[in-house]
Amino acid sequence: MHCHDVKRVIYFFLDGTLGDQRQSDLRDHLSACPECEARKVVHQRLREFFRKRLGPVSAPPHLKQRLTRSLRAFAE
Amino acid sequence: MKSAQAYEHEQGWDFEKAAMPYVDSLYNTAYRMTRNSEDAEDLVQETYLKAYKYYDKFEEGTNFKAWLFKIMKNTFINNYRKKKLTPHKIDFSEIEESYERVIQKNAPDLIKDPESEIFQDMMDEDVKRALDSLPHDYKMVVLLADIEGFSYKEIAEILDCPVGTVMSRLYRGRKMLERTLLDYARKYGYIRGEAEPAKMRSRKDEDKTRRKKEPGTEDDEVQEPEENEEEVLFSDDEDLELELDDEEQQEEFSVE
Repeated sequence: MHCHDVKRVIYFFLDGTLGDQRQSDLRDHLSACPECEARKVVHQRLREFFRKRLGPVSAPPHLKQRLTRSLRAFAE
Repeated sequence: MKSAQAYEHEQGWDFEKAAMPYVDSLYNTAYRMTRNSEDAEDLVQETYLKAYKYYDKFEEGTNFKAWLFKIMKNTFINNYRKKKLTPHKIDFSEIEESYERVIQKNAPDLIKDPESEIFQDMMDEDVKRALDSLPHDYKMVVLLADIEGFSYKEIAEILDCPVGTVMSRLYRGRKMLERTLLDYARKYGYIRGEAEPAKMRSRKDEDKTRRKKEPGTEDDEVQEPEENEEEVLFSDDEDLELELDDEEQQEEFSVE
């Protein structure tokens, strides 16, 4: 696996969806290539940051009541 | 007219029991897509009423949460199209090239600090604006994958597109998002980089970088047309070729 390949599949590697062989090939590459390893860390940090900052917004309490009312009214 | 008791013994009660646990998830995505709580509530309500109406079409044993999201996605698109808003114009190759330049210059600095203070100091409003700057179809894929935790296959089901298309949009959406976040980091002087902003953000947006965005405005459109621009609005024009382990994904992701 080359640096060019890593750039193309790094997000899927972080998702853990590349399959065992490819995940393992990429891990080997990262351990030997500081530049790709640095990029991976940047991707990881940006993703963690994004998830943290855009964490779940709960539905307002009145929404559930509103939904229940409208569903029952619709059924009638 | 049915009494409350009759309702409880019929389909409505089953539906409510099955659907209510997903209110928060649906609302969260609706809120991110519509960008305000009032529209988000309306979208969720419309979704629930449609889902109830077509509840008998739901196939037992399939993913109910994904089915609800699919209805919400379709409702969102219909409402969005009614407004006849202009789709985003983006030049992904330009975004990717500038991303490469920034990341190559800054990757070593970005990983020095274990707590990534560079990003922690960024304002919530900037993070929201970075997300909102994505074309809607990329934004939705990123939200479904990275916030709601749906698998590629579930997202493909929700969006009615091949898994390869989901992966392509994820790749591009995540890259655009990172590019914009890095752009903010550069603006505040946290990192080095070229002066040119990401192409997907408009000049108008650049002029009022620090001004609060009004709900419902579309100031992240790019005005100028270019030869290699891509018009994006829930389209399937994907052209990435990634090597994947899964044969099915491999085939679908190599869409021309």
